[in-house]
Amino acid sequence: MTAIKTLHILNKSPDHPRAAKCLEMVSEEDGLLLIGGGVLFLAAAKLPDAGKLFALSPDADARGLGHLTGNASAVDFNGMVALSLQAQRVISW
Amino acid sequence: MSTLIMIDQPPYGAWTGREALDMAFSLAAFDQPASLLFTGAGVNWLRQSQEAGGIGQKSVEKNLSAAPIFGIEAILADRSACNTYGLDGNSLIEGVTLVDADAALLTNYDHTAFAG
Repeated sequence: MTAIKTLHILNKSPDHPRAAKCLEMVSEEDGLLLIGGGVLFLAAAKLPDAGKLFALSPDADARGLGHLTGNASAVDFNGMVALSLQAQRVISW
Repeated sequence: MSTLIMIDQPPYGAWTGREALDMAFSLAAFDQPASLLFTGAGVNWLRQSQEAGGIGQKSVEKNLSAAPIFGIEAILADRSACNTYGLDGNSLIEGVTLVDADAALLTNYDHTAFAG
């Protein structure tokens, strides 16, 4: 895996104002990890092209979206820890 | 007197939605006419096949399936919000009526309250 400059961890749903602010800040070398209500972006289909996209699978499964990960890589809780260690810095939105 | 409980928050992230559900069920259990309206990110409550075991919760889908038993008059969902979140007849749970959540709809209720 290549290094991630900033890992953006987004737990806000697409309707939350902070979600839009987060998506604005994702750049090409970054990772965007959708957790909690953030996984609803998988259904709302308005995600940025920039950066690598990840989704926490237990949260996607809980919301009936486990099949919808699309171009997002599904990660479990261990994978989330690995991502946060791999990133140079983390922003928890 | 009829009451409309509105849920505009997504499921699982907070307890307010489940509390609203309890409120609606309590009203119905005491024979007070009550309906539920899901708008915005709240429509994600109504998606089929929610498997919440991985996050240590019970599926809200199961909670909602008890609504007719308690005597909830209707489960309503805002049509445009369902479009936004890719919810249609194939992915919505049973018993949901699509409506336009506008001022005209709310005139049908004596009291409307939000969750959270």
